[in-house]
Amino acid sequence: MKKLLTLAAIVALTSWISTSPASAADAEKVYKFYCAQCHGLTGKGDGPNVTKDFPVSPRNFTEAKEMDKLTDADLKNVILDGGPSVSKSPMMPPWSKTLTVEQVDGLVKHLRGICKCKGKQG
Amino acid sequence: MKALLTMTFGAAILVATTGQALADAAAGKAVFDAKGCADCHYTEGPAREKIIDDQLAKKGPELWYAGSKFQKDWLSGWLVDPKPIRPMKFNDLMVENPGDHPKLGGGDAGPVRDFLMSLTSKDVKAGKVKPKKNPKGRQIFAKKMPCSGCHEYVGRKKKIMGGRSGPSLVEAGIRLNPDWILAYLQKPKVFKPVKMMPVFVGLLSDKDMLNVSRYVANFKPKKKK
Ligand code: HEC
Ligand code: HEC
Ligand code: HEC
Repeated sequence: MKKLLTLAAIVALTSWISTSPASAADAEKVYKFYCAQCHGLTGKGDGPNVTKDFPVSPRNFTEAKEMDKLTDADLKNVILDGGPSVSKSPMMPPWSKTLTVEQVDGLVKHLRGICKCKGKQG
Repeated sequence: MKALLTMTFGAAILVATTGQALADAAAGKAVFDAKGCADCHYTEGPAREKIIDDQLAKKGPELWYAGSKFQKDWLSGWLVDPKPIRPMKFNDLMVENPGDHPKLGGGDAGPVRDFLMSLTSKDVKAGKVKPKKNPKGRQIFAKKMPCSGCHEYVGRKKKIMGGRSGPSLVEAGIRLNPDWILAYLQKPKVFKPVKMMPVFVGLLSDKDMLNVSRYVANFKPKKKK
């Protein structure tokens, strides 16, 4: 019985470790390090790269109305493959070789937290 | 006989000069440590950063491959008159670069330069990148890829333009070793395992990387009149 319990505990623990989602704090750190340079620390699209000759405004993540037009899958795709993959500006970089899929999932949640919106369902 | 003499003489000079450079490198290391440079810069590879916090904990860029990264003449000048390279303060997105880097006196700068130039990386292959006006490279830098979104550069009509989160590339042609630029793009894990710049391996072909490196290596500041 005791053995079984230990086994169950181990199984539970390992599955918890392997599926443990990146924490919200991690997602915020990733956002501030990689995304804030263009989208701004609070997501208003006002990072230090956005000078007057920046060709397109980086998405303002606080605009719930705009962010609601995109599904979570849309967000994930554009983060992984960059602007041109969804016919948007190449100034939005592709991050597929830089970030893990878990980190990108964390970012999608973080962006939903900034816009306080659920996004288009589907 | 004369030929032999010239040869021996030549060899003697060669030995003397390499010996001198090594002596200067050792003296330079002593100055580097004495001036507190090592408080902010590490000079022994390989790269130590594993996670974002490691990168953010650094007070200055790593210098363990400085001899492969920089051009010697540029380094000589910069050590005595260090003008800002990054438009923003190191590891900060809100504050401008205060331009307060420690300066070295003329007597110290030579040996420190020789020390830094002795720090090379085997991952930089010499003679691959010839700086050149390069329309394909320009296309990648300013249109196809977001490079110009994060780096200042010399655009059309010599205008300085571009983003501000990355180091300015305006002087890249006199500051950086062209071959290092390519190695940096091709082997991001070796030089900068954790950085704000996206990894382009697998997104840009080797040919594209070569073109964009040649283009960047050709940036020169405006000549002063
Ligand atoms: C070099 C600047 C830059 C960086 C860095 C950057 N972005 Fe963007 N991003 C942009 C620009 C510019 C747009 C707008 C593109 C357009 O509207 O054509 C954009 C748009 C977006 C969009 C909206 C896409 C759409 O369909 O409207 C999302 C989501 C996004 N970025 C997420 C991120 C995330 C997450 C990060 C960090 C991993 C990031 N971006 C880093 C410049 C950047
Ligand atoms: C208080 C921390 C600090 C100290 C001390 C310091 N540096 Fe730096 N160093 C920096 C920072 C920050 C930068 C980036 C400057 C910039 O981008 O303009 C830098 C940049 C450099 C660079 C260019 C590196 C690159 O990748 O762009 C060299 C070379 C250098 N320092 C050498 C030295 C030497 C030699 C000394 C000692 C005389 C020294 N540093 C002392 C913080 C420091
Ligand atoms: C999202 C912003 C961003 C984009 C996009 C970007 N870079 Fe960078 N780049 C940086 C940052 C930040 C650094 C400094 C990394 C560090 O030292 O930690 C850097 C460093 C560099 C350096 C080394 C400069 C030095 O003095 O150390 C070169 C060369 C360079 N980038 C070229 C490019 C090229 C070419 C592209 C396009 C293919 C590009 N970058 C795209 C942000 C960016």
